[in-house]
Amino acid sequence: MPKVKAKRQSVSLDMTAMCDVAFLLLTFFMLTAKFRPEEAVTIVPPSSISEKPLNAKDGMLTISVSNEGGVYLASDDQVGREFMLERMASRYGVAITAEMKKNYMASEIVGYPAGAMRQVLNMKPADAKKLIKGIPVDSANNELSYWVGYAKLSNPNLKIAIKGDQNSGYEVFSDIIGTLQAQNINIFQLITSPEGKPK
Amino acid sequence: MAEIDSSGGGKKGGGKKRSKKMSTKIDMTPMVDLGFLLITFFMLTTTLAKPVTMQLNMPDKTDTKETSPVKLSETLTVMPDEFKVYYYQGIPTEAGTKLEATDYSETGIRKVIADLKKKIGNNFTLVIKPTKKAKYRNMVDMLDECAITGNKRYALLQIDPASEDLIKRSGK
Repeated sequence: MPKVKAKRQSVSLDMTAMCDVAFLLLTFFMLTAKFRPEEAVTIVPPSSISEKPLNAKDGMLTISVSNEGGVYLASDDQVGREFMLERMASRYGVAITAEMKKNYMASEIVGYPAGAMRQVLNMKPADAKKLIKGIPVDSANNELSYWVGYAKLSNPNLKIAIKGDQNSGYEVFSDIIGTLQAQNINIFQLITSPEGKPK
Repeated sequence: MAEIDSSGGGKKGGGKKRSKKMSTKIDMTPMVDLGFLLITFFMLTTTLAKPVTMQLNMPDKTDTKETSPVKLSETLTVMPDEFKVYYYQGIPTEAGTKLEATDYSETGIRKVIADLKKKIGNNFTLVIKPTKKAKYRNMVDMLDECAITGNKRYALLQIDPASEDLIKRSGK
């Protein structure tokens, strides 16, 4: 009687398909990930127990306050940003060239007084970093008020987020709140870093 | 592995040299490992860096109508400074008003708020007046204390000269 031989199966299987899936997922996640907007200054937000994630469906205007008290503006609404630049430039009599507009759209933040607009926007965003010192918010020359006003005009659903450095003075924050309240903006999202809830 | 081809010894002379046929299959396992490792790494690092927000609602300045009167006996005024918190109950100009100072720790201002809230009940209102030296962090800490103690009634105000005087007088 002949022996019945068990069919020997190969132990190595084709990994190509699995490899494809792995890299497809990797590529997908990398492409869908949103880049953190470029920051001219490092801002370390204070921690809070809040667990609400940042929700920016209709566009978010972020007002950042640096450690030294400089105020910066960032928006993820590209149409609104263009509108803001045009209105601000015409208000302060700055002629905007195509080059300046390109530099403005390439840089994520606004952080200079209107007087320095021409100089800053004629430079590449990477070179202009030293000139970005903050938008004036004091009562004599409150340019933040105009920037925010134009942003709201272009997108009334815009949410306002305030991202302050934990060691920035309360005075600056109070000035910003006052500016926004004067325009009847009363709801703010304060960006904080998460912290464990106490028992 | 390095091998010496000795099979060609049999036939001599003519005959085309055949290039050795290599298998087109390569072992993909390390590549799969690397792919999944990268996915895991990116997924873990992105979720950890997500910022959270805390909503702050300020009263409408154009709406002059007073909606909810607050009893003075049911309020606590806190004045966060850079490293400590001052607090008092009542009117700052009155001689009997006692100013106390505490810190931001668990047994500090949190206990004060929680105790008063227990004593007064739901009508307890916290008035926050950050001093001129206060940092942004201090204000967020105070709002956080409100969230921790479950206090929904609070107001964020500018500091008034009377309260500043009270701090100066107490010398704390």
